[in-house]
Amino acid sequence: MAQARFVEIGRVVYANFGPESGKLCVIVDVIDAKRALVDGPTTGVIRQQMPFSRISLTEFVLPIKRNQKSANVAKSFDEHEIIKKWNASHAGKHVASALRRASLTDFERFKLMVAQKKKSLLVKKEMKKIKPKH
Amino acid sequence: MRQILKTDKIKIPEGVTVTSHARTVTVTGPRGKLSKTFKHVPVDIQILDGGKVVKIDSWFANKKQAACVKSVLSAIENLFTGVLKGYEYHMRLVYAHFPINVNIPGDKGSIEIRNFIGERRVRKIKMLDGVAIEKSDAMKDELILKGNDLELVSLSAALIQQSCAAKKKDVRKFLDGIYVSERTNIVKE
Repeated sequence: MAQARFVEIGRVVYANFGPESGKLCVIVDVIDAKRALVDGPTTGVIRQQMPFSRISLTEFVLPIKRNQKSANVAKSFDEHEIIKKWNASHAGKHVASALRRASLTDFERFKLMVAQKKKSLLVKKEMKKIKPKH
Repeated sequence: MRQILKTDKIKIPEGVTVTSHARTVTVTGPRGKLSKTFKHVPVDIQILDGGKVVKIDSWFANKKQAACVKSVLSAIENLFTGVLKGYEYHMRLVYAHFPINVNIPGDKGSIEIRNFIGERRVRKIKMLDGVAIEKSDAMKDELILKGNDLELVSLSAALIQQSCAAKKKDVRKFLDGIYVSERTNIVKE
């Protein structure tokens, strides 16, 4: 399978490590083989350099120019409703659920365990009908 | 310096279909099917343009990895020639005094070599998968190896040549052996 998502001007990225982790931002320029200049005026990321090892490429690309001013990046970001699309996307939902899981209390984890056991019991019942154990 | 993208492509000739999955390329043509894996090379292999072009990408390649792009393409091109025209290697039996006695059993899958430099030892070489060997009718002391896969045909020829080596002799004088004389295709234009 070939490279599907490219590092390009306007690629919306998700910072997965470092002080800006958890935030969306946009690649505004490529500094060198290892770093990009990213900007996320509407998501709270100050225009700064960020190594590619700290970002994940999303499926969204904005039609901005190289080194576009922050105000215009913000305008394009809002115009294309990136935050809404991100929250509805598969990757965005996965990130949100991972955050929720990490913030569960002990009681909530207990409730989760009970629910998981109930679910797996139902699944096993149905599996037995299809495929009996040897 | 790592090159961001090293890419190259070749056209797929008429009559050949190519599929590729996980760096295993399978080529089908009038002479049969050949497949080759490139799992040792870090490249992207894509079939584009509705099955007309094979494209190879190498991202952030150092010098040796970038060189692999054309190597992979050449290997795939050899697969194309193999399924379209096939490969034919001619080998000559060369001897000064002791005639090399060659026997090929009916299934054309192996060859027995006797009397090489008068030696009693019988050399038996099994041909590789898909390679057929026969004695030439047109020329005296000639063997013809035929097959679709270039690597297997040339390797079979090499096995025959290397089995007939004069030992503990001056090789400048004892020139006996079985040597590749011609490399062509089975289907001649």
